[in-house]
Amino acid sequence: MACVYIPVQNSEEEVRVALDQLPRDASDILDILKAEQAPLDLWLVIAREYFKQGKIDQFRQILEEGSSPEIDEYYADVRYERIAILNALGAYYSYLGKIETKQREKEEHFILATQYYNKASRIDMHEPSTWVGKGQLLLAKGEVEQAFAAFKIVLDGDRDNVPALLGQACVEFNRGRYSDSLELYKRALQVHPDCPGAVRLGIGLCRYKLGQLEKARQAFQRVLQLDPENVEALVALAIMDMRTNKAGGIRRGVEKMHRAFEIYPYCAMALNYLANHFFFTGQHFLVEQLTETALAVTNHGPTKSHSYYNLARSYHSKGDYEKAGLYYMASVKEINKPHAFIFPYYGLGQVQLKLGDFRSSLSNFEKVLEVYPDNCETLRVLGHIYVQLGQMEKGQEFMRKATKVDPRDAQAFLDLGELLISSDTGAALDAFKTARGLLKRGGLEVPVELLNNIGVIHFERGELELAEQSLKEAVGDGIWRSFIEGKVNVGAADATACNRIYKDVQIFTQLEADNVNLELPWNKVTALFNLARLLEQLHKMEIASILYRLIIYKYPDYIDAYLRLAAISKARNNIQLSIELVNDALKVNEKCPNALSMLGELELKNDDWVKAKETFRAASEAADGKDSYSTLSLGNWNYFAAMRNEKRAPKLEATHLEKAKELYTKVLVQHNSNLYAANGAGVVLAEKGQFDVSKDMFTQVQEAASGSIFIQLPDVWINIAHVYFAQGNFPLAVKMYQNCLRKFYHDTDSHILLYLARTHYEAEQWQDCKKTLLRAIHLSPANYVLRFDAGVAMQKFSASTLQKSKRTADEVRSAVAELENAVRVFSQMAAGANLHYHGFDEKKIDTHVGYCKHLLEAAKVHCEAAQREEEQARQRQELARQLALAEEARRKAEEQRKKQLEKRKLEDEQKRVQQQEEHFRRVKEQWKSSTSASKRRERSDADDEEGGHSEKRRRKGGKRRRKERSSKSQYEMEEAEVDDQEYEDAPLNYGEPADQMHDQDDNAEENAQDVLAAAGLEDSDAEDEGVPPPNASRRRKAWSESDEEEEERRPESSPVRENSAELQESDGEFGADNEKPNQDEAVEDED
Amino acid sequence: MKLAGLKSVENAHDESVWATAWVPATEARPALLLTGSLDETVKLWRPDELALERTNAGHFLGVVSVAAHPSGVIAASASIDSFVRVFDVDTNATIATLEAPPSEVWQMQFDPKGTTLAVAGGGSASIKLWDTATWDLIATLSVPRPEQPKPSDKGNKKFVLSVAWSPDGKRLACGSMDGTISIFDVARSKFLHHLEGHFMPVRSLVYSPVEPRLLFSASDDAHVHMYDAEGKSLVGSMSGHASWVLSVDVSPDGAAIATGSSDRTVRLWDLSTRAAVQTMSNHSDQVWGVAFRPMAGAGVRGGGRLASVSDDKSISLYDYS
Repeated sequence: MACVYIPVQNSEEEVRVALDQLPRDASDILDILKAEQAPLDLWLVIAREYFKQGKIDQFRQILEEGSSPEIDEYYADVRYERIAILNALGAYYSYLGKIETKQREKEEHFILATQYYNKASRIDMHEPSTWVGKGQLLLAKGEVEQAFAAFKIVLDGDRDNVPALLGQACVEFNRGRYSDSLELYKRALQVHPDCPGAVRLGIGLCRYKLGQLEKARQAFQRVLQLDPENVEALVALAIMDMRTNKAGGIRRGVEKMHRAFEIYPYCAMALNYLANHFFFTGQHFLVEQLTETALAVTNHGPTKSHSYYNLARSYHSKGDYEKAGLYYMASVKEINKPHAFIFPYYGLGQVQLKLGDFRSSLSNFEKVLEVYPDNCETLRVLGHIYVQLGQMEKGQEFMRKATKVDPRDAQAFLDLGELLISSDTGAALDAFKTARGLLKRGGLEVPVELLNNIGVIHFERGELELAEQSLKEAVGDGIWRSFIEGKVNVGAADATACNRIYKDVQIFTQLEADNVNLELPWNKVTALFNLARLLEQLHKMEIASILYRLIIYKYPDYIDAYLRLAAISKARNNIQLSIELVNDALKVNEKCPNALSMLGELELKNDDWVKAKETFRAASEAADGKDSYSTLSLGNWNYFAAMRNEKRAPKLEATHLEKAKELYTKVLVQHNSNLYAANGAGVVLAEKGQFDVSKDMFTQVQEAASGSIFIQLPDVWINIAHVYFAQGNFPLAVKMYQNCLRKFYHDTDSHILLYLARTHYEAEQWQDCKKTLLRAIHLSPANYVLRFDAGVAMQKFSASTLQKSKRTADEVRSAVAELENAVRVFSQMAAGANLHYHGFDEKKIDTHVGYCKHLLEAAKVHCEAAQREEEQARQRQELARQLALAEEARRKAEEQRKKQLEKRKLEDEQKRVQQQEEHFRRVKEQWKSSTSASKRRERSDADDEEGGHSEKRRRKGGKRRRKERSSKSQYEMEEAEVDDQEYEDAPLNYGEPADQMHDQDDNAEENAQDVLAAAGLEDSDAEDEGVPPPNASRRRKAWSESDEEEEERRPESSPVRENSAELQESDGEFGADNEKPNQDEAVEDED
Repeated sequence: MKLAGLKSVENAHDESVWATAWVPATEARPALLLTGSLDETVKLWRPDELALERTNAGHFLGVVSVAAHPSGVIAASASIDSFVRVFDVDTNATIATLEAPPSEVWQMQFDPKGTTLAVAGGGSASIKLWDTATWDLIATLSVPRPEQPKPSDKGNKKFVLSVAWSPDGKRLACGSMDGTISIFDVARSKFLHHLEGHFMPVRSLVYSPVEPRLLFSASDDAHVHMYDAEGKSLVGSMSGHASWVLSVDVSPDGAAIATGSSDRTVRLWDLSTRAAVQTMSNHSDQVWGVAFRPMAGAGVRGGGRLASVSDDKSISLYDYS
């Protein structure tokens, strides 16, 4: 039992004070000490003992009494002990100041401490222990440099002063000069080998900081050997164990932490680490307990920050973002420089992101990035935030940087791809592909979503084979594979089932009965749907429909599958089934705008106008008017209504048109790049005659539409063509129609052929017009209107040919043939009119027949004339031939004569002259009226020459001549006659039709119409599609039809488009759990 | 099985070629290919060089259909003006001109025995049967009309486009604009039943030469259906064309069918897998007709020929093996 003996004054006796039995009231002891004038060191001993026993008040009481002025006076010469007492008080107050958290009191403590030390210094400037104390104080105050100076003074005096060495080591440690610090600790240990474990702790820490982990470990272990309950060493070792990142190490570390915790439950460091550990094991309750304790016991900023961080993290992972945010904030507040401890910034950023506070989040992540400029995740998050803030470029820049920083981070490429999907599909595809490559190389399973996205992008870019590959890979193995490969026989359907083939699920029940596994994992549904959509694009409708049905069979709520099936049956014109399927979809969700819109379309197809309008309204309401499609449909409805009214109610028409325009404009305001709305607006403009504006509009729409595989907008081509047509630019209109036919309809649309025919008609290219109409008839044989139009075209061709001033007989003949064809066509129609309904007025056809027949009769004269002309031509040729023959004969005869002449030259000249004269006279008489040329004279000369020789021959020649003459005159006569006839007949010939044709001359366009009007053939706009008056109604009809088609096109593409929209939207969910954004997204995706 | 292009004749006609048929070989000459065109002519070609044998004029408005008598001696051609011209193949002498106003003429076919010519009568919603000896109209098989035709229906839904004889000559099938196929008992001149499943025009029909009940139909809905024509059931449905299927024919061995489509391709389908095995895209416009050459004699394998005609004015010949 330790005791102190207080010597009794003026005696040899001593008062024995057992140190473990110090009186509770220090005044008792003080009284004794004062009364006996005990040496000051005893005061110190007793005070220290009180301190050790935790009786701080008593300790302070004694020391304060021991440093009071009267003591100073009384013990003036006992310098060392007085200094010791003051130093003890100084040390006590520095300690108080060090642990005090409140700034003001902290400072007060430090001030007191400083005062005591200064007092001690006044007693002896050179007392080393004072300097050591001052050093400690300065260290506690964080004034490292001054502390260094203080310790240096001591060490200069005595380089082996252990406390100074330790202090200096501490200074160096704080300055970050760990090797210097280590040296100092080592020296302290050399000087004082028995010093407490704490010294070795310092060594261990230095070694740790210097990265000499093994030596550090040894040092810590040595500390523990000396003092098995040294918490710091335990914690240090535990941390080192944990840092090994191996399961065993972590377990050992946690065990050590536990021990440290048991030894001293208030070590904040240990608490934090334990909390950290329990965070990872998911024991959030413990985390909160431990960190709260840690917070209660420490005032050390970084440690507190760490505790707050742990707490925040715990709440964060529990999804309590508000609280997590608060604690992160608290944690951040404890940090002076982000460099020291960056994690809470990251966490805060995440929470803020989650709570939608993008700007704050951004600044926090940027701080993280300052510290770790190459941190991929931070770069990615920043990228996302910028995207959320609408700064696409910047977002992409960050994403790109992230991929550059770590070109093997599949996740970064994935994110980049998702980011790019809306703006640059090509780049997105590259990113996705890289991600896929990385995952594959890493031996990881490529997520279905990624493959699906790759597939969809390929699909969108029209690279269908690649898309198929990717999507097939995405869906993997399953029953669908057998369907695609045709291994499962789809089976026969009986007569009643054939019409409902797309609703048949019997095959699946059958397969299930055969124990075939039909499992379809939820995460593959989207990919399977897209695959089916792709097969549809590849025209493998059967397989596509089975896949859709499989989806419905397994997931009866998958509306898009119903709609696709409905679209397929609609494309096959199975309207009834299509309506049923849409109704199935509506059973799942009666407010699904897509389904409602589709239903409206189908009702329109069924000519159910009022119902359709209601349905479109409902669709529009279901989507809060935000669904452009239903608005557009309503616009179209109004447009049709305006155009449909055959009775022409201008007022109604104007209202409908205005309404249509309003609706189109509404859509355009919502989505200024909506092609369909622009097209519609263009149509309304064109309707109002503003062709230039509408043409510009159409052209722009056409350009925009040419980019994507999903946008099939032939209507705009047709509309442009219509505008060209309306402006009289026929060649361009023809070109446009033809391109459109070829590009979009595989040349199968008889309507466009009809437009084309009409353009040819207007351009007066009758044969082209007829051929075009025949093609149209061939495509759509049941359309009698086309036959009628063909008849009209032929009639027009003939009429215009006959009316030409110059024409060949062939032309006339072909005109007549065409007229006969026209008559046949018309009369066939007339005969068939009773038999079947084709919307023609019998009378009208009769009128046409009558007109054609009349024309035909008139043409007969032409025909005869032409034939006569031809006959004449033939005769003319014959004559020429005969003339040539005669010439030949004459030449021969002449030669002969010449020979004879030679022979008879010597014969009587006199006689010959006489004869010649006579003959000449005769000849003169004979040819008086003849206009024979010199040739003839020549011949007559020759005749004269030979004349007299043979009467017989002469007579012969005369005869021949006569013959010649007669034929010649006949010819002339004939010619004259023909001429006469022609001149005379002209008015007679043409008779009635001639008037018409003159009209035609004047007025190439209106003619037929006028005539027809006169003949009662008006009223053509409704039925007579080929030959309407050249006013707007025809065009309108055309437009309205093309619009109808526009509507047909749209729903086809919409489901997948929406799908991809889903993919894009899923980006928004980033951040809840930053480590795994993709899984989250997968969920969103499939939902 | 596969197709190999043998020969193509560009500008075989001045205009679109719309119809084709093989004239069976006679003792004097091999089988000939018959084609009809919008240019109002019918041409005869000698395989395999596709040398032009003769050009027959005499039609007005485009030639929409050609058919050959099984004997190979006579043939018929029909045009939009609704005349059928029956002529001697070798001399081009007109044997008869048939018309049955107001009925139009679309597809036509001689029965397997050669005693009757069946003509699809368009808007008359009937098939006209002509005796090939006397060239008299012997029967009109009418497609039953729906009870109450809706006034809003444009045109005639039962417009008959295509016609096909069963190999035994007992049944006639006809396809109409609304996609229904009607089956008739020829001997009794009686309508039997409809085959449903198409809802768009059926432009071509053909019975399998091997399985007498099996009927193939080509429709504008881009599908080819396989029906059991007696059992009224849809055996299978084949899709793959991007547009209308305009023509279908079965190979003489009954193992494959060929189709021609508006998507400008000719496809060969393996009936055992019901999948397209080959797609020929040598035509640059719609393919209006495909025709397998009938087997020259029993037991002759190989040497199969397929001809196709197109809007691009060309005709093509392929080797089928």
